[in-house]
Amino acid sequence: MEKVLEIKNLCKKYDNFELKGVTFDLPKGMIMGFIGENGAGKTTTIKAILNIINPSSGKIKIFGLDNRMEEKKIKEDIGVVLDDMFFPEILTPNDINNTMKSIYKNWDSKMFYDYLKEFSLLPNKQIKTFSKGMRKKLEIVAALSHHPKLLILDEPTSGLDPIARAEVIQIFQSILEKEDCSILLSSHITTDLEHVADYITFINNGEIVLSKETDELLNNYGIVKCTEKEFNDINKKDYIRYRKTKYEYEILVENKKKFKDKYNISIIDKLTLDDLMVLMIKGVE
Amino acid sequence: MLGFIKKDLAMIKSNFKLLGILTIVYFIMGLLKEIDISFILPFMSVMIMISSFSYDNYNKWDAYSISLPDGRKNSVKAKYVTTILLILIVSTIVTILSFIISYVNTKTINYEQILVSMLGTIFGTLLVLTFMYPVIYKFGVEKARIGIFLVVFILVIIGGFLSQYVNFSFVAKALSIIENYLVVILIVIAILMVYISYIISKKIFSKKEF
Repeated sequence: MEKVLEIKNLCKKYDNFELKGVTFDLPKGMIMGFIGENGAGKTTTIKAILNIINPSSGKIKIFGLDNRMEEKKIKEDIGVVLDDMFFPEILTPNDINNTMKSIYKNWDSKMFYDYLKEFSLLPNKQIKTFSKGMRKKLEIVAALSHHPKLLILDEPTSGLDPIARAEVIQIFQSILEKEDCSILLSSHITTDLEHVADYITFINNGEIVLSKETDELLNNYGIVKCTEKEFNDINKKDYIRYRKTKYEYEILVENKKKFKDKYNISIIDKLTLDDLMVLMIKGVE
Repeated sequence: MLGFIKKDLAMIKSNFKLLGILTIVYFIMGLLKEIDISFILPFMSVMIMISSFSYDNYNKWDAYSISLPDGRKNSVKAKYVTTILLILIVSTIVTILSFIISYVNTKTINYEQILVSMLGTIFGTLLVLTFMYPVIYKFGVEKARIGIFLVVFILVIIGGFLSQYVNFSFVAKALSIIENYLVVILIVIAILMVYISYIISKKIFSKKEF
């Protein structure tokens, strides 16, 4: 499968944090959910992809091109939403349109204004009068309006209420249907991703813990709930992590069907991304 | 680069009113033969542009600008081009008004004096830009403002000290030798210093991480 984004052994060292050999690929036409707790390295990875920071080592290819050598060409086809708000708040959406149409060759003013209308954003109002959610929507609109082939979205749904979040997620899905586009979407609101992401990449403490198809992850992985006695009978090789709660043991297993066949434990819950994150971060190996 | 210029102009457009009011005040004071404040207007345009760095910084625009095509290069270039354009436009307006004031007050226009004084002002304004912008890119607007005040303060003290103990007649002699070429020399120096300043700012910004 053709890859739009390839990251190999990406390292970046700070005094108190380090990206350690981050490696993953995003296949063309797919949505990848990039998950991890705050400070795990999601934003640092995204900033390295966009050359906002200089990695200590590693290789990044976008559309098969080196992200540093072919930076200008690549960025014409990328739409970006960063973690922090970034449009100067004294500007209006009209100013953003005027600016962007001189920056992107493929800027589509009609598309921009259509989205503004869809999101009920007034074009002549200063951004400072917008709520946090409205600002985020404007950033998303600006990221979509030059027909990008790759969207890199860092926490695009944070600050949005559930209805706005659903609207935004629906737009991402419809973009994928209409346009030749792939999406890397970082979020800590994992329920959003369970519905839309084709792949999940999980980063913890600067390291990629797993990068898998969402269906494979949610269908095969499971959470076993058992007593201490039952837990003591389980071979260490048959689980990834466990944690002891007040009443039971929760065990993350890679293949719930195999586990069920081997052990006589009936309670195996379907995995959610939240469970996965909690057990991978808080659980014991 | 045009997009970045448009964005900078859109950010500072609210200051144009103030610039307009000051221009009218200058014109009226000139007609009333009060003090000449023409030099303030080009300096004001640089100060207004410096405020655009504050907006960028406050709104975390710089990181986003890098994610745009040729963002690192163009955002720096746009700041220099917009500032120079603004200085030249404001200076041209002030010069035309000075011609009118001169004609109304004296029935003649002292072209040479007005033009030389305006060229001196433009040179001084570009000097501010030359020193300020690399410092802003390196240390940020707030630190740069304090830094510039300190530098000016130290220069004034050194200047005051030197003027007490050093005979500057050789400077006047040197200037009289190049008097005919002074304007050309000033323009060449201005272009060179702004270009070097731009190269330094570009280099600083190309290594910056956000």
